[in-house]
Amino acid sequence: MEKYVVAGLEINKVSIKELLFNNTMLIAYLLLALGFYGVYEVFHERYFLLTANVHDAGLNPGSREVAHAMKEAIFGAGGEVKREQPWTLYIVNYMYMIYSGSAIIFLVALAEIFNIEVIKKTAAGFMTFGLAMVLGGLFTIAADLNILHMQWMFLTPNFGAGMWLMLPLYAIYIPFVIFEIYLIISKNSIWVRKIAITILLLSIIIDFIEFYIQAKLFDMNTARHLWTTYPMLTLYFIISAFVSAIAIMIIYSMVIYKDKLKDEFESLINLLRVSALYMIALLAIYEAIAYLFIDKNWGAIILFGEFKFFFYLYIFFAIGLPFILEFNKHTNKLWIIIGAISVIVGTYLGRYIFVYGGNAYPMSNRFGTGFEKYGEYEMVKEFIFFNPPISEILVVVGSFGVVLIVYKILETLFSVSKVIEH
Amino acid sequence: MNFAMALDYQNCINCKACEIACKYENGVQLGADKQRIWVGTTEKSIFGKPFSNFYPSQCNHCLDAPCVDVCPTGASYFAEGGLVMVDKDKCILCKGCMEACPYDARFVDDKYVAVDKCTFCYDTRILQGETTTACQATCPTKVRLFGDLDDENSSLVKLLKERKFFVLKENEGTVPKLLYLFPQNDKRFAENSISHSTTLHTWETFKPLIEKAKEKRGSQWKSM
Repeated sequence: MEKYVVAGLEINKVSIKELLFNNTMLIAYLLLALGFYGVYEVFHERYFLLTANVHDAGLNPGSREVAHAMKEAIFGAGGEVKREQPWTLYIVNYMYMIYSGSAIIFLVALAEIFNIEVIKKTAAGFMTFGLAMVLGGLFTIAADLNILHMQWMFLTPNFGAGMWLMLPLYAIYIPFVIFEIYLIISKNSIWVRKIAITILLLSIIIDFIEFYIQAKLFDMNTARHLWTTYPMLTLYFIISAFVSAIAIMIIYSMVIYKDKLKDEFESLINLLRVSALYMIALLAIYEAIAYLFIDKNWGAIILFGEFKFFFYLYIFFAIGLPFILEFNKHTNKLWIIIGAISVIVGTYLGRYIFVYGGNAYPMSNRFGTGFEKYGEYEMVKEFIFFNPPISEILVVVGSFGVVLIVYKILETLFSVSKVIEH
Repeated sequence: MNFAMALDYQNCINCKACEIACKYENGVQLGADKQRIWVGTTEKSIFGKPFSNFYPSQCNHCLDAPCVDVCPTGASYFAEGGLVMVDKDKCILCKGCMEACPYDARFVDDKYVAVDKCTFCYDTRILQGETTTACQATCPTKVRLFGDLDDENSSLVKLLKERKFFVLKENEGTVPKLLYLFPQNDKRFAENSISHSTTLHTWETFKPLIEKAKEKRGSQWKSM
């Protein structure tokens, strides 16, 4: 294929059709279209919902709009999050995408530091997919915010707020990862070797800060004791993200590197399989210890209450089944794939019960439980559980489209998945 | 000034006049779950004798408010008088404050696409020269008393010097300023009906707490 070379970077000479209208992109567009429909639904609800207050009712007594708004106020279920629906699938997907994507980048940087040849050769592909996942996660969270007021993040920043820290974090993190990928795939190999260690160390530090800030964000929610009582939340995010990241790397390798790596493919898969086993074991140990520390109310509903179904599925898919399937060195590739898919499903369920479980008791079981939370208009419930609305499910589907689009464009232009000796 | 409110909660008859007055006075979005203030109910029994308590509640205007800390844009801020306020134009709807509030006192105002909460009627009444909040003014059984904790001669401080009181979820460490007056009659019943871990305060024990919190956060108070 013909190439342009810009600053040592080879760019494939492809037509617009090849770049934007290949099969992968068409699937991605379909997913993204569903995602944008979800965003439209969310925005419609957010910005165009008919609402009224008493003043509107007094000033416009004959208005049909006010009448509709009052009807919505009494019978409707529209609007933003409510007490009974605090945080939903947005956050589950955001956590999954960002943490797993960051973990892929983290693991690859770590492998480069330890000079693991097979990962060094495939680093650009893995990192690009990790970056695409991070962007997919950000797409999800962007739909959850009032974008019309985002300028205040810059104009009146609160530097100490975990939510604000996300802004500089990703403003540094994303360009940094792009620079790292550039260094790997560019022909500036001498220069790359000179600064490789520094860049990799920086990458690991930035990755660690990312997990720390994310954990801080959840830990600041003092009303949610599932989150605040989880011991060493940063470590939990890292371990659980490593598990899902390795599973994603296994699937990615099966699709991309099976033919490209030839003889080294076995060693790559074996490395990922063994890493998965260690991480799954670590996650199992962590969860077993964590449940000795977390607030007993949350522990009880997750282990024995309405969340138990999800919890045992999580344990089965994320820990039990894959541990058995990946344990045998000579296991069939099919079992390794099934094990990896099982981990991906299981760890997503893990995020689900972490977010939904955290929302289950908006208040701790201290004096005053219940009465601040539940108005007399609402039926008193022991915990909150609800299914995500269709608009959020569509936004999540759209985030998969974002992942595909970002990855495929970078792959088409820069052949990031090619095996690189450096 | 350091605004606070005492609540003689045993006087509450759950008529919800305060909720209505709040909606009228402050133009709160219509809807049953869109409330700046509300009356909570607990039902318990002591040795088989059932009883219920009504706890009128709202934003506690904590002196060490976690909702202010988590706000990324400064939309939630401390105003003069130690009030916790929301600038709706700056709210990006991250809902961090709703999560951080131990009292669940915040909700999304769909009309302004921003978080809303009790303001102690500061913008609608107090700045206009009124001395009471709408909820206090309308209460038929005089549950609430709004006042200034910095003024030792205010009715509020005088009352707090006479009566014991408690705050909700004191161990969250937010120094809340909704002060629930411990009932004067049938103290044993009242002691049994609230949690054993609840600390009963007198003015002498509570004053150092608010002074310490004010010293810590007072520099963040903004004039309106």
